[in-house]
Amino acid sequence: MAEMEQPKKVADRYLKQEVLGQGTYGVVFKATDTKTGETVAIKKIRIGKHKEGVNITALREIKMLKELKHPHIILLIDAFPHKQNLHLVFEFMETDLEGVIRDSNVFLSPADVKSYLLMTLKGLAYCHEKRVLHRDMKPNNLLIGPDGQLKLADFGLARIFGSPDRKFTHQVFARWYRAPELLFGAKQYGAAVDVWAAGCIFAELLLRRPFLQGNSDIDQLSKIFAAFGTPKADQWPDMKNLPDYVEYQFVPAPSLRSLFPTVSEDALDLLSKMFTYDPKARISIKQALEHRYFTFAPSPTDPAKLPKPVRKQETKASYGKHEAIKGISPPRKIRRVMPEHGRPDGMKSHVDKDQQAPMSLDFTVLAERPPNRPTITSADRSHLKRKLDLDFQ
Amino acid sequence: MADFQTSTQRAKWVFTPQKLAERYKAANQRAVQLLEKCGTTQVEVDASGSLTYPTENARDQAADKKLKPLSVDEERFMRAFYEAKVQEVCSAFEFPHKIQATALQYFKRFYLQWSVMQHHPKEIMLTCVYAACKIEENHVSAEEIGKGIKQDHHIILKYEMAVLQSLEFDLIVFAPYRAMEGFVSNMEEFLQARDDEIQKLESLLKAATAEADKIMLTDAPLLFPPGQLALAALRIANGVLGVVDFDRYLESIVSQPNSEHTTSHLSNLLDDIESLVKNYKYPSEKDMKHINRKLKSCLGHSSSHDESKKREKRSKHKSHRSSSDAPPNGPPAG
Ligand SMILES: Nc1ncnc2c1ncn2[C@@H]1O[C@H](COP(=O)(O)OP(=O)(O)O)[C@@H](O)[C@H]1O
Ligand SMILES: [Mg+2]
Repeated sequence: MAEMEQPKKVADRYLKQEVLGQGTYGVVFKATDTKTGETVAIKKIRIGKHKEGVNITALREIKMLKELKHPHIILLIDAFPHKQNLHLVFEFMETDLEGVIRDSNVFLSPADVKSYLLMTLKGLAYCHEKRVLHRDMKPNNLLIGPDGQLKLADFGLARIFGSPDRKFTHQVFARWYRAPELLFGAKQYGAAVDVWAAGCIFAELLLRRPFLQGNSDIDQLSKIFAAFGTPKADQWPDMKNLPDYVEYQFVPAPSLRSLFPTVSEDALDLLSKMFTYDPKARISIKQALEHRYFTFAPSPTDPAKLPKPVRKQETKASYGKHEAIKGISPPRKIRRVMPEHGRPDGMKSHVDKDQQAPMSLDFTVLAERPPNRPTITSADRSHLKRKLDLDFQ
Repeated sequence: MADFQTSTQRAKWVFTPQKLAERYKAANQRAVQLLEKCGTTQVEVDASGSLTYPTENARDQAADKKLKPLSVDEERFMRAFYEAKVQEVCSAFEFPHKIQATALQYFKRFYLQWSVMQHHPKEIMLTCVYAACKIEENHVSAEEIGKGIKQDHHIILKYEMAVLQSLEFDLIVFAPYRAMEGFVSNMEEFLQARDDEIQKLESLLKAATAEADKIMLTDAPLLFPPGQLALAALRIANGVLGVVDFDRYLESIVSQPNSEHTTSHLSNLLDDIESLVKNYKYPSEKDMKHINRKLKSCLGHSSSHDESKKREKRSKHKSHRSSSDAPPNGPPAG
């Protein structure tokens, strides 16, 4: 019995190499999968004996990435515990967008910027389509593969945003990428928070430095207001109702052009739409992808040809796997409507033991609209006095 | 997550009735063999997910006590008993139905890999509830759960990793409840409902929720996609309340573009789910007494998991299970 269940996948399947990065809850190292010969990145998270059990951030990342499969989302290859650590095996990525932006030897043409933004938004659009908020969008979490493909990574803060009335924490995102509604303490928010952060990333690609560098939450708001003017009630009617809203001294908006003197009209227009104060009026990722910035010249650079920082221990990259994005087509729509084609016809009797219930007949499409009833967020357990008899006696 | 069609649940956790029966049989067989070889079936677990199987020298200690393993049907009863406990615990904490459904799915999936003779279902049940809360972002500490129901929370923490691993880390579960809400609001359009009818639909949803709770206790969640479970629950409830012409409603959703399916086919599937509910068997007290005694002796201790009593390590043989020796379905991240 025990022999039949010999370990097949212990960590020594993976040949450990250098450390790639230190995450907030674990170290990431490079490794070779001896079984496939592929280079992978392994995030190692201490299981520990603390009160909260398996690290929730790691669990969030796993649960999301198990379901999210897209050319612009990091691929989670495996997850397994080994020697007091939970190991997450990812496809190996060469660098990240922060490395690109910070490297003064890298010149980014407008077409290059467009390509990086396009890939970012495509990955994000897919998340939003699946009702997942990333909530930690920043250049450092946008990894770039050997083939130049950019992928969203670090889903440790990601959340499903199905029910509109669920309350979330506003303590998400690195401060510089935090949307104004979060800085005002909003607990109910949506995909627009990721749009704001993506706008910050866009700006950072253009400026080659973080756009709004506040050194406290209050300072962050001041930086935002200095860039776009203090929002007026008619610009953002719900603002005054936000939990941490305080009135700021009015500052007028400088022209956006003055902040981005060299960018195209199209880029400027898209930026302004991503930085719209009212989250309800802010452009969605899907709309952003349809913006003329992406359809008009210059067309985005082929990812394989994008400039990248040169790493010291650079190994010859293995190309392939994901085909390069050509053109500027909007992201493929994931078919929500369920019926599948090509099912064997001549429906067998439903009592056939060997036939699986046809999942195309699921009609969850009808169920995928947000519910109109409130859901319970956190249970009040004060009433819980009763002892449950859990054993059979 | 709003896409069952591309989900791990759809890809890996919906089975044919035959396949499901095989899985239960195989899990039972593994425990039966352990019992024969080692005289006990208990697999030890630690918080990092490593497993310790009994070895053959455990046999001597068990002496010649003739231990009888549980049969497949007895295992089913045992699971049924503890699945009902999942619902009890969840309602005691007033957790939303979604959490209860997730916990039940976890429990069901866990026992596709294991026999109740290898891991005591009470402990797995509690761990599944804890894990479901965590994954559904309704975090309750293990301690809080333990306190609330007077159980040792260390057991929960001990089993968490082993449970997650047995679930192959496929943690997002689709339940019928959300789908039912979708169908009901779709029915509002279908009926072009007026106020009084909207009220009736509300009560239909309420009744259907209770029916879905019953469906969740059967094998149906491992056999049918959540949308079908939802429709079945609604149809059962509607059979009593008569709010909509259900056949016509089914026709209306089936006749959507591209659907090659006939209403009668869908209707037959719902019949199958209904008959699972009708044939659902909960063990009698007498059944449980008997099965419980057997289970205790197979697990090799007389009081169901008394953590204070340090059981001696049965073996030093450690084995790390991995997703690849679990269900023969697709790659783990596929
Ligand atoms: N797939 C990968 N390939 C290469 N490096 C990676 C990969 N994933 C993470 N890293 C490196 O590890 C760092 C931390 O990982 P990340 O997922 O962002 O964790 P954290 O939540 O702790 O920030 C990243 O900034 C990056 O440098
Ligand atoms: Mg990070």
